[in-house]
Amino acid sequence: MEQKRIAIYGKGGIGKSSTASNVAAACADEGYKVMIIGCDPKSDSSITLLGGKRIPTILDLLRQKIDVKEEDIVFDGYKGVKCVEVGGPEPGIGCAGRGIIVAIQRLKKVCKSIDDMDLIIYDVPGDIVCGGFVAPIRKGLVNEAYILTSGEYMPLYAANNICKGLAKIDTPLSGIICNSRSVTREEEIVRKFSEEIGSKLMAFIPKEQIVQDCERDGFSVLEKAPDSSVAGVYRELAHAIMSNDSSVLPSSLEDERLRELTR
Amino acid sequence: MAEKDISIIHPRPSSIVAALYTLRDLNVDVAILHGPPGCSFKHARLLEEDGIHVVTTALDENGFVFGGREELSTLLGKVNEMFNPKLIGIVGTCVSMIIGEELSEPVKDANLDVPVICVEVHAGYPNNTKGVLIALESACDAGVITDEELERQKVLLKEATNVEKRHGAASKEYLVPSRGDLKYKVAEKIINYLKEGKKCLTIMNAKKETGYMFADITVAINEVAEQLGVSDNVINMANVDDTLGLPRVRHHAISIMNDFREKGIEIHEIIGGMDEYPVTGEKVSELIAEKYSDFDFAVITGVPHAIPMDNLQNMDVISVTNGPRQVHPLKDMGHSNVIVEIDLHPKTLGVSNIVESEFGATMREVVKDMQKTEEA
Ligand SMILES: Nc1ncnc2c1ncn2[C@@H]1O[C@H](COP(=O)(O)OP(=O)(O)O)[C@@H](O)[C@H]1O
Ligand code: SF4
Ligand SMILES: [Mg+2]
Repeated sequence: MEQKRIAIYGKGGIGKSSTASNVAAACADEGYKVMIIGCDPKSDSSITLLGGKRIPTILDLLRQKIDVKEEDIVFDGYKGVKCVEVGGPEPGIGCAGRGIIVAIQRLKKVCKSIDDMDLIIYDVPGDIVCGGFVAPIRKGLVNEAYILTSGEYMPLYAANNICKGLAKIDTPLSGIICNSRSVTREEEIVRKFSEEIGSKLMAFIPKEQIVQDCERDGFSVLEKAPDSSVAGVYRELAHAIMSNDSSVLPSSLEDERLRELTR
Repeated sequence: MAEKDISIIHPRPSSIVAALYTLRDLNVDVAILHGPPGCSFKHARLLEEDGIHVVTTALDENGFVFGGREELSTLLGKVNEMFNPKLIGIVGTCVSMIIGEELSEPVKDANLDVPVICVEVHAGYPNNTKGVLIALESACDAGVITDEELERQKVLLKEATNVEKRHGAASKEYLVPSRGDLKYKVAEKIINYLKEGKKCLTIMNAKKETGYMFADITVAINEVAEQLGVSDNVINMANVDDTLGLPRVRHHAISIMNDFREKGIEIHEIIGGMDEYPVTGEKVSELIAEKYSDFDFAVITGVPHAIPMDNLQNMDVISVTNGPRQVHPLKDMGHSNVIVEIDLHPKTLGVSNIVESEFGATMREVVKDMQKTEEA
């Protein structure tokens, strides 16, 4: 099969990292070779795949002027999921965007196993504040983009903006994922939004306390609560992503229409 | 100000470089570039010839990502030991400014007993005079120059920018560089004019240290006139007022005047200080209207495009510039000949005497040859 290299975009705090790691775990359960690359300076993408432990980031090592090798930056997590964290400079100092670019170039150079993967998930920060934050896409590392949103106005607003951005850099959108915040008519709102921008709704993930409980203990839902209903939802989403073969250059909605949708 | 906003596509000196030269005029002993190792290399080298030390924090890829606070404070300590400076300047670059480096923090970290001027500048300003302005403002903040001097300089900078926009390097979207007219042809023309008893105005309107070479053209014309016995037909103007400008600039005026005096050359009209080249035009125009309107030809050196043509219409105007891109704009202004002193600037760094110009040397040779053929 062709390697899938996806990135999940969406407003900060909407659940990108937790969705990414749960999908990674679900795919690993299915026997896929999966890598997750955390591109957020917060470095919190892989922590629930590593039993709550933090790994050294690429930029941590580059800062120490270490000639990094694959084994210094790629760590095996739950069921062999390969975990990488880009890291970043201290908040407020230097340039995180440039950091992502440099780290990804280095990763590409030293990481041989990257080619063997079935699925690579780039977990990107919510706010695309400069060119560095879209480097995974711009440098051709990502071939499918997903957007995560709830049915609230602000996350949808952000999602809509991301659609504009993707269209501008000629990157097709493979689907919308709804991560619920328990607002009324949520699934309907997000489904409508997905259709109107020319895409499709991939999954509706309910808001469940267990997601946060597992996270607090340092695990994915798939590992800690495999029998929960939300684990089932992640499994379905994982399946939908792995079998998805359609994508579109998204259009975007007028703000007026967006407000109407969420009213 | 700008009548037109054009997008100029020929490369030109950056604001970073302009800031470096300004720091030199403020007599800093060391200038530190906070940025990539190759930034402004050529001018940094030239400035070393002028007696100041230029060093760089040499930010690498890591520096771009993590910042260079430590690199800068360490370098401050190092240059303090190596050069024992009385005044230090730090100059920002695109890289350090884009990533938001704070220049004053490393200065505090280094905790030296030496005043430091921090110039937060990058190369992205369309007019490089912006680099001069930022450097001067920072110098004023550091107490190195007075508010009055800052205000004076601001006026000059604004005019300098306007001069470039009117007839200079910022006058067209693209200016083809040119080597100008053949020096010996123009030398012959000037000598013949003098022989014919025509009246000559020399106008030296030089930018700072470039005066060390442009002054030589004034000297050469006077020497030739003397040999031809027509000294009285030459009137000299020059911007060599030694009471104006930053310390180093005044020093240039003093040195050049000394040389003029030693060579027995009288400057009949002092038209301003050596940093006043953008504003001398009006004075020159007035002087011509008052006293010299019957002159036959003028030789303008330095920044010729700052001298308006209004009162020069009846004269044959010959100009000498050091900017190859200045040739076409000067011809467009109506100058009949334009001479380029190629690579003039490097030869005027680190000197305190008039240095021979190619055009001056050519005139001296041509007059000899012409006299020889006449004798024969
Ligand atoms: N479906 C969900 N149910 C409950 N909590 C969730 C769900 N999805 C995410 N969360 C919680 O929301 C918080 C923010 O999620 P995170 O993945 O860090 O967001 P992002 O990566 O988009 O900034 C986390 O504490 C996470 O556990
Ligand atoms: S881009 Fe800016 S920082 Fe880089 S070398 Fe040029 S002037 Fe210097
Ligand atoms: Mg995240």
